[in-house]
Formats: sequence, structure tokens, C-alpha cells
Amino acid sequence: MTGMAVDIPSSGKVEHPRFTASGVWCGCVEIAPIAAFVIPFGIAFGVAASAKGISPGISVFMSVAIYAGASQFAALDLWYAPLPLVTLALTVLAVNARHILLGAALAPWLLQIPIIQRLGALLLLSDANFAHTMAARDRGETDAGILFGSGLTMWIIWIASTAVGALAGSLLGDLSRFGFDAVMVAYFTAVIVGWWKGRSDLFPYITAAAVAVAGTYILPPGWHIIAGAVAGGTVGVWRHG
Amino acid sequence: MVDAVSAISAVTLLALVTIATRVGGVWIMSCVTITPRVEAFLKYMSVSVLISIVAATTWAAGPRIWLGVGTAALVMIASRSAVGAMLAGTALAALARNFGF
Repeated sequence: MTGMAVDIPSSGKVEHPRFTASGVWCGCVEIAPIAAFVIPFGIAFGVAASAKGISPGISVFMSVAIYAGASQFAALDLWYAPLPLVTLALTVLAVNARHILLGAALAPWLLQIPIIQRLGALLLLSDANFAHTMAARDRGETDAGILFGSGLTMWIIWIASTAVGALAGSLLGDLSRFGFDAVMVAYFTAVIVGWWKGRSDLFPYITAAAVAVAGTYILPPGWHIIAGAVAGGTVGVWRHG
Repeated sequence: MVDAVSAISAVTLLALVTIATRVGGVWIMSCVTITPRVEAFLKYMSVSVLISIVAATTWAAGPRIWLGVGTAALVMIASRSAVGAMLAGTALAALARNFGF
């Protein structure tokens, strides 16, 4: 949720794939120290949503149902009446498209466990529990319950910290008077800088930024984000052959 | 203001889109393989959404937000801590607000 690091290890079939209660429990406990780092982001999301005039109930519902931090922040940017549903859906799809890669990396393992457990584990898939599960697999772990358990802990902490931020925000009133409207751009800036892999990223990044800024003048509201995303993705492919 | 019914419907829609991305990878892999070009596109597209939002917001905003974005970038480069960068950027922008920017 915070790192957005997508590194796909070479994946072969897993010997003796399992999904057990003890695996779920291990995942729950082992990820707790990592999950603690999500708390400030959850609080920040609750506060930012509150600054947008969203009630605590809706903010918490977002974290329960969507459970993908960056895309939830991105949705706030498009949260005005009447809600631009197509732009919202495409933006969230673009931010969360990386989940497809995470799922693809886990596929050789997950396709060998029963479909109910497979879907359960995938519903709670995030960057953090993916990284944790892949690290466990490298150590020879074959229990996919780890993915579900670690996802469960991340999910609960994300919901609880959102609730704290949303309630704090609603008690403090109009947060923009404190200058908390910078939370989202500050968070995104950190993620972008953290994602930076080297000079080959420069051209795709600049293209995305330039197309998005130009789009604010010539496209309908919100579409500059889609245009920037597609432009950055296309240039990224072109630069990487 | 967005009314509660529209909000709940919209969040449900966004949740379904997100579930599709979570389940989609395994489903696609059971049919085809993801080529390096598709992989590169998805990676760059994800980060480009965030770049688009930051670029457009910063372009339209005043010096206060520029200060917040600049601070967050510098703190991230120096410390590699996303939490630290977010807090520093927000705090400085909030501080600047109180000094009348």
C-alpha cells in the first residue's frame, strides 16, 4: 500500500501447495510489524476524506470495500457532486492495475489451491502482504494461508486507522483551514520518488506530468489523469522495448 | 456535497473495479502469459496516475502546495521514509497556511 514495489520473481509450480488455519494465523502475526507502518497512512486518508466533506461512515466504508490506499486517495481528487463515475472507475482501475501483476506472480501457487480459499486470499491482496508472502515462499513456505492471514491484518489495521483519521477530522471541522489539504500530494510525491528506479524513468514520468497538465486545459474534468496515465504507460513500454 | 446513496453506489463500483484487478492476474495467467511489454505498461501506468494528479494539482496550486510537494520529495530522497516525507510535506504546507500563504 505504501511501497507499490512490484518485483516479480521467476515463478514455477509450488510443491505441495496448502491453505491451512495455522498458515493464516502465522500470516496474521508475522506481518504485524509491517502493518503498523500503514497506520499513519490510514489516519491521513481519514483526515483527507474528512477535509473533502466525506462523512466518517463513508470513509470507513471506502477502506472496507476498496482497501487500496493510493487509489482511495486518487478517488478523493475526483469526489464532487455529481460524482464522475466513469472517470473515477478508470482512475481507480489505472492505479490498481499493478494488482494484476501481483496476482500473476502468485498464480502458479494459487491455481493449485481450492477456489474458495484462492478468492479469499486474492480479495485481501496488497503490495505489503504480497511482498511478505513472496519472501515466505522464497524460504520454502507452501502454505497460501499466509497470504490470507497477512492480508487480514493489513485490512483490519487499514480500516481502524481510517476510522481514527475520519473521526478526528470530523471533530476538528474544516481541515483545509489548517492546511491539511496537502496530505494527498505529499503522500503521492513520496510514493513517486520511492518508485524511481533510475534515469530511464525520467522520460515516462515527464510525459505523464506534461500530458496531465495540458489535459487540464483541453479535456473534460478528471480525464487529464487518465490521459497522463496512458501516456506514461505507453512511453514506459516504448523506452523498455 | 455528495449524497449518501450516490456515495455508497460509487464506492461499491470502485470496490468491484479493484476486486477485478486483484482476481484478474490469476485469471489471466490461467489463460495466457503476461509479456514483459504488458508488464512494463501496467507498472508505468500505475505510477503515472499519481504523477498526473501531483503535476496537475501542483500546477494549479499556489506556493504553499509547491512547498509541500518539494519538501516531501526532498525528505523522501534523503530518508527513504514515505511516512516522514508525507508528514514533513503536510506540516510545512500547514505551517505556511498559518503564515498567510
